[in-house]
This record gives sequence, C-alpha cells and structure tokens, in this order.
Amino acid sequence: MGWCLVELSARLLPPFQREPVLGDLAEANQNALRSLFDVLGLFFRYQAQLWSDWRPWLAGFGIALPSSYLLMCASASVTSTYLRLFEGRTFWHGWPTGHEGLPLLTCHIFLLIAWSWTAGFVVGSLSRRTLWASLMLCLLPCFSCAAMFSPLPKVCLFMFIVPGIWGLRRGLRAMSVERTFALALAALVTVLMLIAWKFDALWVFNWGLILPVWYLAASFTTEQYPHPVPTHHQ
Amino acid sequence: MKRNGLANDQSQQTCLDIPLYYNHNVVLIMLGEFEYLLITAAASLGEDAYGAAIRAEIESTTTHSCSIGALYTTIERLEKKGLVKTWMGEATAERGGRSKRMVRVTPKGVQAAKEFYNAITRISKGVSWVTN
Repeated sequence: MGWCLVELSARLLPPFQREPVLGDLAEANQNALRSLFDVLGLFFRYQAQLWSDWRPWLAGFGIALPSSYLLMCASASVTSTYLRLFEGRTFWHGWPTGHEGLPLLTCHIFLLIAWSWTAGFVVGSLSRRTLWASLMLCLLPCFSCAAMFSPLPKVCLFMFIVPGIWGLRRGLRAMSVERTFALALAALVTVLMLIAWKFDALWVFNWGLILPVWYLAASFTTEQYPHPVPTHHQ
Repeated sequence: MKRNGLANDQSQQTCLDIPLYYNHNVVLIMLGEFEYLLITAAASLGEDAYGAAIRAEIESTTTHSCSIGALYTTIERLEKKGLVKTWMGEATAERGGRSKRMVRVTPKGVQAAKEFYNAITRISKGVSWVTN
C-alpha cells in the first residue's frame, strides 16, 4: 500500500526523473513513508524552481487570467450581437456592441478567434510545466463570471475555448510561426481593433488582448527558432 | 601608465575590455556548499557516480541525511550550469529493474570545485578551528 502511494506520487515527476528516483529509493531500502516524503519533496522543489522564473507568472497572471475574462466578455458580445441580428433577441442595451451590424460582427468573430489562438499559443509556450496553474487561473473567471451572463446560452460564453486550445496545443509543441504570418496577423488584428474602436464597438479593456498578439510576433517566429526548448527545467 | 606593476602594452591586450593579465580571484561560478559536496562525491566515485551512490557518499561523509529532492534539484542545477553531465545508465535487479542516472563532473565542474576549495582554504587560514 505504502509503495503504491510512492509510485503514484512519482507520477507527478517528469518521466525522465521517475525511473532513477524510484530506483534510488528501492536501492536505499528506506521505508515507504520516508520515500513518499522524498518524492513529494522533490516535486515541490521542482515546482518552486519553475516558479522562480518570470515565464509562468506572465503566462498565468499576465495572460491566462485576464485574457479568459476578456475573451468570455467578447464571446458574450458576439453571441448577443448574433442573437439580436438573426433572432431579434436583445440583451444589454448599454453594451458597447449593442449597435453592431453584420460587418462589425464578422470583424469581432475574427478578432475573437485571433485573440484566443494567440493567447493560447503564448500561454502554452511560456508555461509547459506549469500549465496546470495557467489552466486553473483561466478557469477562475469562467466559473465566477458565468452567472453575470446568465441570459445567454452557457455554451456561447466559451466560444474562445476551441481556438484557445488549438493555439495552446501549438504552443505546447513549441511550434514556430512564420515571421511574416505573425506580423501580418498582428497588423491585421491591430487594424480591425482600430476599426471596431472607431465605431465604438470595442471595450477599452480589450486592448489588453493585443499584447499576446504582438508578443507572438516579437518572440515566437521562425527566425528565432529553434529555441533551446528546455527538456529538464521548463 | 602601469597597472598592478604590468606594462601598458599588456593592458591593451583585451578581450571584452578585460585585460589579459587580470587575475583577480573572481570565482565566476561560485558553488554552494551542497553543490561542492555533490561534485566532490561524484568525482570521488568516478565511473560509479549515480544518484543513490552520491547520496550514500554524502550521507556517510557528512553524517547528515540527504533528501532525494535536494540531490536531484542540485544535479539539475549543476547540469544547467554545465558543471556535471548526466545520462541514463543500466538497470539492476537491486533497483527493481529501474535505470540509474549516471553523473560525471565536467572539466568546468572540476575547475569550479577547485576554486571553491581554494577559496575555503585561503579564508580558513589562521582561524581557531583549523589545526595547522
């Protein structure tokens, strides 16, 4: 039973570390309780080491947490506009996108996909080993603010999830993007945001979502790859 | 112009603005005491240096317990600094068929350990607990 717990807790360790650690514990012939503390101690030390870097903080608190809140608001905005235009149902007259027509709705849908994809990509690239924390921080506003948009269908609030996961998967695989593509995407997003802003169809805080887009253009392009993708530490 | 008794022409031979004669005892990679213990244990074990053996060596020498966490995070750190090199070794029945993580001290690691040892020896000269 004790050793089962040790083996189970060793699953928290990265695969390259698991084998030698369990082998060392077997060789040392120490009791299961001390072995369990040893394995957990190693896990917590690793986590502490990871968080001594700036990247997990930026990914979790700088991007995942604020972006998920803003993207949920953007999803709500797109949904309410769609329902108003195509089903004649009106929500929140004071909403910044309350007067949007089809062209601005299309622009907003594209922006929502681009914002979500780039935020997911940057979070995946910056926090491979601390992804669990970034995901928890991403879920926090989803659960706490879902009630705020209760008149809308719940599933529509999470429209950003699919492109976000798509970007996250690419970021986790440390895939690069073409510099021209990244710059074109950043320029296009900026122009569309300016257009939406000009027509009073953009919430001022949504400008925060432009940061991952430009960060992607500046950091994760083919001309700088291959990054020394950390195998042991990050 | 003379600096530390050396002629001007020598001071002009620079690399990244550091004169070649510059020999101040700056330890570029100053080891921590546990890092030094680990490197020394690995060096003395030679070809047989791996996680459990290094741990046993440190525990028997210092008479203090050494946790797996401290051992492996230090190995990782030293490897990142280029002071040790690790690779997966053979699996034995004694270890439940699991592989060893072998450790070898690199020349850079030897240099860093030497510098640490010299610094400790120099600073300890004349203190009451040093016998000679």
